[in-house]
Amino acid sequence: MSRADVEACLREGHPDIEARLREPWSDLETDHATAFARQRDGATFGIWVFLASEVLFFGALFLTYTAARLANQDAFAAAGRETNIVFGTLNTAILLTSSLTMAVASQAAEKGLFRRLTLWCLAATAVFGLAFLVVKGFEYREDIEKHLVPGAHFALSQAPAQIFFGFYWLVTVVHAIHLSIGIALVTRLAVMGWRDVDFLEENPQVEVTALYWHLVDVVWVFLYPMLYLPGRSG
Amino acid sequence: MSAEAESKSTETPGALWRRNLWVWAGLMLFLALSTWAAYWPYGRIDTAVAFGIAGVKTALVALVFMRLKHASGLVRVVAACGLFWAAILFTLTLADVLSRMANR
Repeated sequence: MSRADVEACLREGHPDIEARLREPWSDLETDHATAFARQRDGATFGIWVFLASEVLFFGALFLTYTAARLANQDAFAAAGRETNIVFGTLNTAILLTSSLTMAVASQAAEKGLFRRLTLWCLAATAVFGLAFLVVKGFEYREDIEKHLVPGAHFALSQAPAQIFFGFYWLVTVVHAIHLSIGIALVTRLAVMGWRDVDFLEENPQVEVTALYWHLVDVVWVFLYPMLYLPGRSG
Repeated sequence: MSAEAESKSTETPGALWRRNLWVWAGLMLFLALSTWAAYWPYGRIDTAVAFGIAGVKTALVALVFMRLKHASGLVRVVAACGLFWAAILFTLTLADVLSRMANR
């Protein structure tokens, strides 16, 4: 690093920008601060492209549900009554709260001022994510005991109710896989940030992980009225 | 850029929490409202309210937590693209499904 770069780093308050620059941004013929800003923009842009593709992936699943529900409204209401609204509501609250701690962690890391706050919020986010999976596990056990798995011993008499629970199992498992990946990514950030004092500060990886986490939360926000709220008033 | 640098130096953990806690409180309120609304005896209106609230919650998370409110134009276009193509997917498919149901 040249003397001018070191001075630029000190002026900007960056610990060591060059170490965090990746290809192709490290090859840019600009100063490191500009290259790093472009790397940040590239990371945000890239994760949003991925999130837009995830919107279409889950959109296709949601559309399948919509078409099946329109054709079988009574069976879907009867099936919706069988899901456990206490577990569902609790898990929605847990995920929304995890999005709060994730947002605070991301914003604190971007400011680069509150390393301990960032670490605690990352840890809390991972714990909330694990709590969601634990609650979901208890719910799955109850669903299996109530014979809500489509097949020969299915509990409800209306045949299209099996379409509802086929969707329920598919989409909640796909969501749980997404959430597990999120927990792994958040835990990775927390561990690396705990080991290396400078790791989290202004690191684009924090924002990228946070955006992914929020999308997994938003998917659940839509699954909640689809799986837990139909048929409650009937 | 200069405004950002200014907020960076004056930001405190308390201000950071307060800004985000309002959104969280709103999300919890909407969650309670949608759970309550599901038990109203109005049939289809309940469903519309449930998905309307899901949309409001998504807007809160996307604008504040995901910071679309302050994102660059490029990022907003990408986010809108996801919704745009999903809207085409829903419109064309439901046009088919609903017209078949109406003519049955």
